[in-house]
Amino acid sequence: MIDFKKVRKAYPNGTVALHDVTLHVDDGEFVFIVGHSGAGKTTLMKLLLREEKASSGRLMVNEFNLSRMSNFKVPYYRRQLGVVFQDFRLFQNKTVYENVAFAMRVIGTSPRMIKKRVPAILNTVNLLDKIHNFPRELSGGEQQRVALARALANNPKIIIADEPTGNIDPKMSLEIMNLLLKINKLGKTVIVVTHEKSLVDYYQQRVVTLKDGEIIEDRVGGMFEE
Amino acid sequence: MKHYSLTYFIGQSFKGLWRNGVMSFASITVLMSCLIVLGGFSLLVYNIDVNLEKLGLLNEISVFLELDLEEEEIVSIENQLKSIPDVTKVIRTTNEEGLEQVENSMNLDVSEILDDYNPLSEKFTVYYSDNPQNVSYEINQIEGVRKVYDRLDLAMQLESFKNGIIIVFIWFLAILLIVSLFVIINTIKLAVYSRRHEITVMRYVGATGWFITLPFVFEGIIIGIISSVLGFFIEWYAYTYIEKMVTTQMKMINVIMFDDIKLFVFIGFVGIGILTGIIGSCLSLSKYLKS
Ligand SMILES: Nc1ncnc2c1ncn2[C@@H]1O[C@H](COP(=O)(O)OP(=O)(O)O)[C@@H](O)[C@H]1O
Ligand SMILES: [Mg+2]
Repeated sequence: MIDFKKVRKAYPNGTVALHDVTLHVDDGEFVFIVGHSGAGKTTLMKLLLREEKASSGRLMVNEFNLSRMSNFKVPYYRRQLGVVFQDFRLFQNKTVYENVAFAMRVIGTSPRMIKKRVPAILNTVNLLDKIHNFPRELSGGEQQRVALARALANNPKIIIADEPTGNIDPKMSLEIMNLLLKINKLGKTVIVVTHEKSLVDYYQQRVVTLKDGEIIEDRVGGMFEE
Repeated sequence: MKHYSLTYFIGQSFKGLWRNGVMSFASITVLMSCLIVLGGFSLLVYNIDVNLEKLGLLNEISVFLELDLEEEEIVSIENQLKSIPDVTKVIRTTNEEGLEQVENSMNLDVSEILDDYNPLSEKFTVYYSDNPQNVSYEINQIEGVRKVYDRLDLAMQLESFKNGIIIVFIWFLAILLIVSLFVIINTIKLAVYSRRHEITVMRYVGATGWFITLPFVFEGIIIGIISSVLGFFIEWYAYTYIEKMVTTQMKMINVIMFDDIKLFVFIGFVGIGILTGIIGSCLSLSKYLKS
């Protein structure tokens, strides 16, 4: 459960990126967040990741109250989230296997568990055959699937993707979107930020439209209006 | 901490040291030099102290009495000596014991030559804790005291020489430790910088601040250990070399054997080395430890 209640975000330089945003997302939902550049989509993601704090209002994610959470709890909160970025952020000097294993190792998962789980996750994203390849040997779409596998590594409840198809060609984009839907069907809440109209229109899911830091539309099966 | 995490940390630390080889080398060299100089000074001061004590120059006054005193007068003087403020101990050497000491040191039978006549006076050795001038003055006031041998001038000269060395030593220590810290801080900062992408990902997947920072703290500790162990062996070699030179050329000076203080020096080196490493890395990581 994600619940924004009148959340406002002003950056230190005075820019108000979000004005009193109220938004509720239930467990297991699939939501597109759309809007023009500068609308506040990334800011929304950063608040969810607790990379930034809301200036006012209340933001709840499951049992965590992000406005009140102390810093030392943040890592434990983040384990409930899996993040995917436009630029993949993979380690070029690590294999696919190692990239995924890394996410598990740094939260203290045992080597035995890692060995068991990594191939299973790579199977979910259809990359088992590339397990020992390095990122540079993969296409953009495949690299994004590795990033997705890494986001899934610690079995999060929520997947957050900020422009996941921004750097890959349209055909591969469909593949990534299909995977995100598949993951959603497996019971995870999925939030996808994008400004690719064709994708949003194609999938007919819930669409939240942001403009100048405000939600101007929130419809299931909504159409992306330019 | 789970053992596989520990293995991971140590592995990461060595990787980091290797990746920034030049900086790691600089850190180790500087910290090691710092420890060697520090150790050298400490050992010098310690040797001076031991030699002063051996010479009986410190906190000790010899008191010689008039020749023709009765036993009860001698006992009375002893009591008066004991009652002087700051006097901690009074030891009596009878003239017979004195003669024996002379005989032993000259290795001949003096009493035969002297025909049982003893020209030595009774002697007291007075130990004090403070105020040597005052103690010396008080002793001189006692009736029956013939001569007070306090060697105060020499003792005080050596004391001030030692204090001078200690002041120079403290300055050196402060400067060298600051330089070492500075170099270690920069080494760790560079290590953090070269792993900034990893750190970003670690934060997103929910690694704790400790998990992110511990490999760097270990890196500091490893720098500390390597520097101090290398420094210890160099110090050992240099000290033994100087010790041999001094003992053959200046026989009156008593140089402590390195073997006697080895453990102490080793613990000191490793302790300071590790502490500097930890402080250095924590200072450069404080930002990351917060969140
Ligand atoms: N760190 C920041 N400091 C100041 N202003 C920022 C910062 N990040 C974003 N902004 C501003 O906030 C607004 C929303 O930005 P962002 O959330 O990145 O929008 P989007 O992702 O929809 O393009 C923009 O006007 C942007 O310039
Ligand atoms: Mg953005």
